[in-house]
Amino acid sequence: MSWPGTFISPRAEIKGSPKADDRELLTLVAGGDLAAFERLYRIYQPRLTRFLTTLLSRPHLIEEVLDDTMMVVWQSAGSFRGSSKPSTWIFAIAYRKARKAQAKWLDPVEDPEPDARVSSDRSPELEIGQQQLRSALLNAMERLSFDHRAVIDLTYFHDMGYREIAEIVGCPRDTVKTRMFHARRCLRQAMSGSLADWI
Amino acid sequence: MTRPDITDHSAHDETEELLPWYAKGQLDQADRTRVDAHLLSCAHCRQQLDFERRLILQFHAIVPEVESGWARLRDRIESPAPIRAFRPKRPGPLTEAWAFLTRPAVAALAAAQLAFVLVAGATLVSLGQPAYHTLGSAQVPAAGNVIVIFRADATELDIRNALRSAGASLVDGPTPANAYLLHVAPARRQVALKKLQADDNVQLAQPIDGADL
Repeated sequence: MSWPGTFISPRAEIKGSPKADDRELLTLVAGGDLAAFERLYRIYQPRLTRFLTTLLSRPHLIEEVLDDTMMVVWQSAGSFRGSSKPSTWIFAIAYRKARKAQAKWLDPVEDPEPDARVSSDRSPELEIGQQQLRSALLNAMERLSFDHRAVIDLTYFHDMGYREIAEIVGCPRDTVKTRMFHARRCLRQAMSGSLADWI
Repeated sequence: MTRPDITDHSAHDETEELLPWYAKGQLDQADRTRVDAHLLSCAHCRQQLDFERRLILQFHAIVPEVESGWARLRDRIESPAPIRAFRPKRPGPLTEAWAFLTRPAVAALAAAQLAFVLVAGATLVSLGQPAYHTLGSAQVPAAGNVIVIFRADATELDIRNALRSAGASLVDGPTPANAYLLHVAPARRQVALKKLQADDNVQLAQPIDGADL
């Protein structure tokens, strides 16, 4: 994961995009409207890039999965039945593509027992600045499994509820809650040295 | 998580699991009501909620590098034929093979190998022509197993020294590509090749049958 730690709102990239109803755009895309597809692409590219950056670590892989995801949207928009939100449908495609790419190209950085992992060796006495705090947070994220990172990202960055996340990753809702619980415990343990600065 | 001051463990566990979505405002009314009720009586969960909000703030302060990728894709989308920015369909094996071969590093290697094949091929074709041998030539020349190209400024003495040092004898050449076919004892071809390849007067030295390399 290569996150530079710049400080802009995670929503800032989307603000400049024209307001559009995703469902309407998908309907137009299903009819082969390239301009509508471009608008949809502009809306989702920053969001998907963020999501895929959390899941995958290689820039070329992120771009490839992003393009593959949007190609599926372009080619299969007609199969979107509207039973879920367009964002759920598109993120589910991205999740499946990312999982497949990771299985094919990367050594999985799985942590099967994230809650059992001990905390980092950061000393409680260490004075940690905000930058170091974020750095520690990112390091902890990198040590989470693919599925735990996905749940964290969809919750914190994409404002999705556990029901929608369950649809995207294709698992029961309780599994999403459990994954989130373990992921947070893992992050908390990694941040334990600076906990006093937090609370 | 079991704590001594918590009486309703079921509500406590449920609240702990739901806190991230509670903090993000992503719970429906029923979930939110249950969490609200538990928070009133559980100091531990209120503390966890505070932690959760701080965690979210930290996460939101960190964003991945989106701009560079966005600029790249914007250029592709806004090109005269934007649909070409995407692959129209999944690439077939030949497309993937071509994509692999056209990667810069692979292409350079392929070009070098192609050059060698062309030189070796030209050499073998030219050596196969009988013009170099008289009809009365009774002795069958030793089979060539190394091909070499000397630098353009190499002198006859340089070439002779290189051949002697490698224990190689000239079988034929020069070809139209200025390559020479050499013979070295098969058992010491590796050594001979290394000596030739290390020689400053040698531009290229390769085995031509690949038998022992």
